[in-house]
Amino acid sequence: MKIFRNPDVLWREEDDSKTEAYAGLSKGENVEDVGTSVLFSDGVMMSLNLLGTEIWKHCDGRTLDEILAELMSRFDVEPSVLREDMLAFLNELEEKGFVRYDNS
Amino acid sequence: MCAMTTVNFLKSPLTINWAVTNRCNFKCRHCYSRTDPSDELSKETLFASIEKIVAAKVLSINFGGGEPLLRNDLLEIAAFASRKGLRVSMNSNGYLIDRKKAGELKDAGFSKVGISLDSHLPDVHDRFRGIPGSHQKAVAALAHLKESGIKTSLSTVICKINYTAINELIAFARQNGVHQLNFHNFKCSGLGYSNKDELDLSAAEWKEFYLQAMKAKKEVKDLEISLDDPIIASLGMKTETDSLVKGSVCGKLSLNIKSNGDITPCGFIPIVIGNIVKDDLKEVWYNSTVLDQMRNKKPTGKCASCGSYEDCLGGCSARALALTGDFNNPDPHCWNS
Repeated sequence: MKIFRNPDVLWREEDDSKTEAYAGLSKGENVEDVGTSVLFSDGVMMSLNLLGTEIWKHCDGRTLDEILAELMSRFDVEPSVLREDMLAFLNELEEKGFVRYDNS
Repeated sequence: MCAMTTVNFLKSPLTINWAVTNRCNFKCRHCYSRTDPSDELSKETLFASIEKIVAAKVLSINFGGGEPLLRNDLLEIAAFASRKGLRVSMNSNGYLIDRKKAGELKDAGFSKVGISLDSHLPDVHDRFRGIPGSHQKAVAALAHLKESGIKTSLSTVICKINYTAINELIAFARQNGVHQLNFHNFKCSGLGYSNKDELDLSAAEWKEFYLQAMKAKKEVKDLEISLDDPIIASLGMKTETDSLVKGSVCGKLSLNIKSNGDITPCGFIPIVIGNIVKDDLKEVWYNSTVLDQMRNKKPTGKCASCGSYEDCLGGCSARALALTGDFNNPDPHCWNS
């Protein structure tokens, strides 16, 4: 199953916050609460942290496993935990119409 | 977890609302901009200003006024903004949108056009807008825009003439293939201030309206119903932007630019915090003391002991400012005692 961003969604990374998040990450800090991007479409808005933003950026037709493999090489996290988090997050995006799943 | 609950880090506004002209072919009784200056920026100056907001990484621009289509160069301005990567939309009364114009708007890059409509009843709308036949023209504009492939929304400012017609307005929006129905709260700015005694609702009426409108929003699945009043949070309910910011979004997610280039926190707050021609947008965004005060409001009066303040942040800052002189004061529409 491929995952695609909805091209109607406007989004932007926030450079200062991204720098802050990567700096925190390099020091082993928990940066889960640092928002690094914002998405909006038709009045519905979301803010994503570093991991959420990276998942979002990889929704360009890749499969869940492809995105997982890519992120595992960059984030120090258990594969099963990351997979579970990703699934919940992508389902939330799909419910809001921000991504679509393509089973063809 | 990947999604956040709040945002406080934006490097620049996400959206700019831009009143490119204050000229208008209508005489609406609640108009906020009739008393605004008539100066307009030239096309060339607008192009340079658009370059500045693109450089600041703003994502979308919504043209308003006045009636933006009274600018003969609007299509060129919109096409320029669209080519620069901005998502372009507009609020219009629809009077000048025929089939040809709708096609031109599509070609110019408009992704969405909002049509103002005060009532599903032609007589009521025409009387309120001061122009016979304006309802019919608005309905025709919606059809032309739909045919040309542009998403449409209906913008209804809630006031005495329409607050009990929620279901009728929803039915009207559905019948006309509208994508989104916006229920805007009544602002006491411009003629809205002059005519407030006749048009504005009581606090109890606002509460009843929002209870009914939020109920409809939950039930209706084939039409987006948008409610932008931060005071709704005091009902324990959430609006679209509540997931990101509390209270008014003005100065937190968006800014307003007037026809002469002056920047204000929103179209209903007449405090000039800069000018798009002379100033750097990000500098204004980061350093305006007015924006800082709006982002860090202090509860006063009944807000100081209210359990809802954390969510609504005193309600609409523009309304509090217009009616009390201080945006830290409680929103006069607030029904809490």
